[in-house]
Amino acid sequence: MNETSEKKYSLEIFPKEIEELKNTIKTASTKIMEEYIERMRKTWPDRPEEMQYFDEIAKFWGTREKEIVEAREEGKKVIGYTCMFAPIELILAAGAIPVRVSSGLYDPVKLGNRVVPVEVCPVVRSTIGVKMVGLSPYLELSDALITSLTCDGMTKLSEILSDYKPVWTLCPPRLKDSEQSISFWKEELKAVKEKIEKLTGTKITSSKLKSAIERLHRATRAFRRLQDLRKGNPVIMGRDAMLVNQTLMWDDVERWTQKTEKLCDELERRAQGKVWACPLKTPRVMIAGTPIIWPDNWKLPNLVEEANPQGVIVADELCSGDRFLYDPVGVDEWTMEDMFNAVADRYLLPSTCPCFTSEDGNEDRVNWIKARVEERRVDGVVYHVYRGCMLYAMEYMRIKKVLDKINVPVYYLDTDYTREDVGQIKTRVEAFLEMLKSRVEF
Amino acid sequence: MLLEIISELLKLTIFAGLALAGILAILIWKKNLTTKVTYLRTFVQVVAMIAFFYIFSYTTWLLLILVVIFAISIVLGRFFCGWLCPFGLYLDLVAVIRKTLNTRYWSLPEKLNRSLHILRYLLLVFFIVLPFMLGPIEAWQWSLAKFLMGPFKPISVLLGPVEPLIIPWESPLKLYGLSFSYPYASIITFYSGENFALINTFIFMALTLASSFVVRRFWCRFCPTGASLAIVNRFRVFKWIPFLRLSKVEEKCTKCGICKRVCPVQVTDVYEQKGGDITTSMCMLCLRCVEMCPYEDCLKLSMAGKTLFKSRNWLEPSKIT
Ligand code: SF4
Ligand code: SF4
Ligand code: SF4
Repeated sequence: MNETSEKKYSLEIFPKEIEELKNTIKTASTKIMEEYIERMRKTWPDRPEEMQYFDEIAKFWGTREKEIVEAREEGKKVIGYTCMFAPIELILAAGAIPVRVSSGLYDPVKLGNRVVPVEVCPVVRSTIGVKMVGLSPYLELSDALITSLTCDGMTKLSEILSDYKPVWTLCPPRLKDSEQSISFWKEELKAVKEKIEKLTGTKITSSKLKSAIERLHRATRAFRRLQDLRKGNPVIMGRDAMLVNQTLMWDDVERWTQKTEKLCDELERRAQGKVWACPLKTPRVMIAGTPIIWPDNWKLPNLVEEANPQGVIVADELCSGDRFLYDPVGVDEWTMEDMFNAVADRYLLPSTCPCFTSEDGNEDRVNWIKARVEERRVDGVVYHVYRGCMLYAMEYMRIKKVLDKINVPVYYLDTDYTREDVGQIKTRVEAFLEMLKSRVEF
Repeated sequence: MLLEIISELLKLTIFAGLALAGILAILIWKKNLTTKVTYLRTFVQVVAMIAFFYIFSYTTWLLLILVVIFAISIVLGRFFCGWLCPFGLYLDLVAVIRKTLNTRYWSLPEKLNRSLHILRYLLLVFFIVLPFMLGPIEAWQWSLAKFLMGPFKPISVLLGPVEPLIIPWESPLKLYGLSFSYPYASIITFYSGENFALINTFIFMALTLASSFVVRRFWCRFCPTGASLAIVNRFRVFKWIPFLRLSKVEEKCTKCGICKRVCPVQVTDVYEQKGGDITTSMCMLCLRCVEMCPYEDCLKLSMAGKTLFKSRNWLEPSKIT
């Protein structure tokens, strides 16, 4: 959008105030990132060296930012996305850099509150705040944004962001399993594909798309390898695995793949040598619910893995975690059309986002959770919800009933983008872990 | 005579050897797990086709062959269609040509696909039951009865798809001393009379090849032989008979839709059914869905309770160093 076009939502802030706010939040957040990485090291004293790479990428204002700036100067385009419905294959095929821009920073929420009421989901408020002061390098560097109209918050967020950047919306149908839905979804993707081609000036040919799909296959392979390593006795702490998963959101896909494979090699060696990341009787926890985004959102994972008694996160059901790259694109015949259909299917059909509904009550999500609980031998589930996140909150009872049936305790944790409730949550999480521990030992 | 047989034998052996070497080369070159079963299947199909040639040259007792095929189908269901039928192989090869030309197939609307499947049974009834019903009534007077018991007698119709390309008997189409044929060609020849036999066969060939060029395994969607093999899978009462079963674990299926998209005969049950036994009469057990399903142990082929082959994370083998 150009400067002269009318701003629909955003407020004018004095440049000086912007600069000040940006600097204070940046300093505070940098410190927090470093502190959290330090705390992860402390919990897991023999944390593999391979993790250092991910620590480096995890620092927002650092190596990766510089790389993207340089790539941009060479003429590469950056395409941001708010949600995992964005077709990364298409972005990569056009030679652009995909970055996820939904925010996990706490402080900008206060700024977002000036634009939207506090009842709104904090991810949305924080992303608005981040944009107001130009805080996130990835959001700032994006040439365009792909937003998904999943929940109410995301829908309006895409309008608000369109004050600043070209925004391309993707509207996932609320029902997945009908012919109309699938053809509608394909049309949506086709439109986005054309926009990507226009922005980058690159035609997405079948050989380019094939190579992008194969690159992501390799990434998915590494991703799943890491998640599969969490099936057995704990060789990696949950937070570290989550950090690896998250860095993929803005890292270079191929390098990330290599580094993750390396990490997995090391973890496999450890598993063979029976070197575990924590005692074997540590309760195995799964986090379900609203996405947890680096860095400030590490609140809950921190609490679980630093608690007394300690827990270890062996699985999650977050679109920013285990689900992010779990499903590969399954191409039958490598023609343009079939590849495109395969990409479209991959983003819509296996998604377990609660924005979908079906006759059987979003059975896909239930099945995903049940499968993870079984394969990762989960002792208890923390159902994590932000205030204002309707869809996840409303589906809690559905999930709880299922988990009750298979006798897996679940604990509902609602929180916000704030540090004030840490103490209070801590007691509750510890009580839950205490209970799990007694069950494990029993 | 003897010399001829030997020369044919030699030709076939060379052909089979070349095919085998080619497939092995592809297998080694392509370490991709998602096509392994497909290659194996093609290999088995080629071997089966050659076997049919030999069977035809040793016995003219077609009924025996048919009985054997039925016996196989009772134990294995429509495994025959996916792995042994020569006509199926030709149709698959047409698809290979289409793929190399980078053309995408058309999908039939689901309803049409299902009605074609019903048509298959109607054809079967038409060819098998009608002659027996008409026969006793009016003996050989009825021209329809004559027609059905004559060239279109059930045995030849049902054995139509297994006619190999090179046949040990006389045919209108000869090249370099070899007799060529095509599925159903002997029936068509029988029926068409001298002058039109070749033309009719060519028309039939053109139609079947063209239709399967645009729609995967088009003929197989209404083939009456397929129906006779499918019957044991069709009705619940017979469910206990075929030992080969396809099953799905509900929790492991993410409904990713891959199985539905890759199925050459557009079976939707694998995708839509919740879990448990998902063998259907439309499915020809080609296992494409099982090899493409990306989740461990989600889809499974089992025989008499033993797992023969199951889906797995096919991203696994491509180790990058
Ligand atoms: S359906 Fe008919 S032509 Fe197709 S594989 Fe089966 S028997 Fe052969
Ligand atoms: S391919 Fe596998 S996981 Fe995907 S829908 Fe089919 S059975 Fe389910
Ligand atoms: S359902 Fe699977 S095994 Fe059956 S025909 Fe289709 S792809 Fe082949």
